[in-house]
Amino acid sequence: MNETPEKTTHFGYKTVAENEKASMVADVFHSVAAKYDVMNDLMSFGVHRLWKRQTIASSGVRKGHHVLDLAGGTGDLTAKFSQLVGETGQVVLGDINSSMLKVGREKLHNLGLVGNIDYVQMNAEMLPFPDNSFDVITIAFGLRNVTDKDKALRSMYRILKPGGRLLVLEFSKPKHEALSKAYDFYSFNLLPTMGKLVANDSESYQYLAESIRMHPDQDTLKAMMNEAGFEQTTYQNLTGGIVALHRGFKY
Amino acid sequence: MALDQATEKTSDDTNISTFLMLPNFVLSLVERILNQALKLDPNVAHKLTTVKQKRLLVEVRDWQQTIQLVFADEKLHLYTADNSDYSDCMISADIDTLVALKNPAILTQLIRQDKLDLQGDLNIAQAYSGAFSEIDIDWPEQLSAYIGDAPAQQLYMHLMSLKHQGSKVTAKLSSTLTSLFQDELAVTIHPLELAQFKQQNRELKGQVAAIEQRINTLLNAITR
Repeated sequence: MNETPEKTTHFGYKTVAENEKASMVADVFHSVAAKYDVMNDLMSFGVHRLWKRQTIASSGVRKGHHVLDLAGGTGDLTAKFSQLVGETGQVVLGDINSSMLKVGREKLHNLGLVGNIDYVQMNAEMLPFPDNSFDVITIAFGLRNVTDKDKALRSMYRILKPGGRLLVLEFSKPKHEALSKAYDFYSFNLLPTMGKLVANDSESYQYLAESIRMHPDQDTLKAMMNEAGFEQTTYQNLTGGIVALHRGFKY
Repeated sequence: MALDQATEKTSDDTNISTFLMLPNFVLSLVERILNQALKLDPNVAHKLTTVKQKRLLVEVRDWQQTIQLVFADEKLHLYTADNSDYSDCMISADIDTLVALKNPAILTQLIRQDKLDLQGDLNIAQAYSGAFSEIDIDWPEQLSAYIGDAPAQQLYMHLMSLKHQGSKVTAKLSSTLTSLFQDELAVTIHPLELAQFKQQNRELKGQVAAIEQRINTLLNAITR
């Protein structure tokens, strides 16, 4: 009897079956959705707002654009994009996780942002849009949770319009040894404790730290984007490389 | 070539400003302040409706920074930018020239003097310049929400009086300093006066020596 070996992937430092990762990630985000914004501010000391500002600055989004904010979570980027594209533009807030979408929708409705935002639950590997649909796609702190990143990048490339750009904002590898050590100490000691105290969930934040370490570094991700078809791919290290903003174009 | 350069644009900037993302931080503060000002003077937002959703790029030459400015959804949005980014209007000048733009009438004069580069729709730059130069916040009205009508009005009058006195003092100081710098004042003494002073000093020294001599003689006479 020949049994096909089950394909595996990583979930933090654990190795799990590929078909299990999505539901495990979903569990993490169902668990943290309610306290997501508070924890973001707390964990990054508010700096995540500056990382997102840099993403918007690099997006070139303007009036009439169609924008996909993938893994958009609680809608920080969508809120700004919605204002910048105006009434003639459209923003799609996409997330695989229904709890995060729910929190995002409620937050944006409370901000009075309605009319040009759609909320779609979707898998980044199989984006439910026709070819050449969007001017800009962003995925902020989401790619590392995707099971098959290459497939997701190819899917994003497919739905981008020629001339459109993809921006990937994601945790990366710090450029300096001292910063790297301090960051490791913070991630594996303080972060789970903060998660335990504020969100009563240390495991999800342990996963966060582990998934960051398992995510491809700056140059590997750049190569993956090139492989998916993106051109003029560049990246910018933010806060010493703790986070990197990758940008690639489709022509 | 351009593609190669773009592909190789992998930022390894390690200076503290980049690490702390200072330009982004400063712009987020400025954005907050400007949006607060928009709320306090609704006329500004009204004047900016003509440039709604239009993108203005401002290159501040002496800071080597480019800023993008968009008025959308009744708010101003300020972000860092590259010069190559799309814009409806781009202006490039040093900070003094940009401050001088408060007066929209001198826009063409500054362009002629090569102090200001402008590409794209001139009306966008003029609209922003006009809106911010005429900003007029009704402070008593704003203050009255916190401390009541009468105290707000009194506080405002006091502050206006202080401001008036301050500007009077500043004007007086300025005119005094101007006359000091312009008039030919004897700040240092003339060489002849110095020579006379030295002569008097020598005479005084001689007299002191004579007195010392006499005192010593008297002391010697007493001790014997």
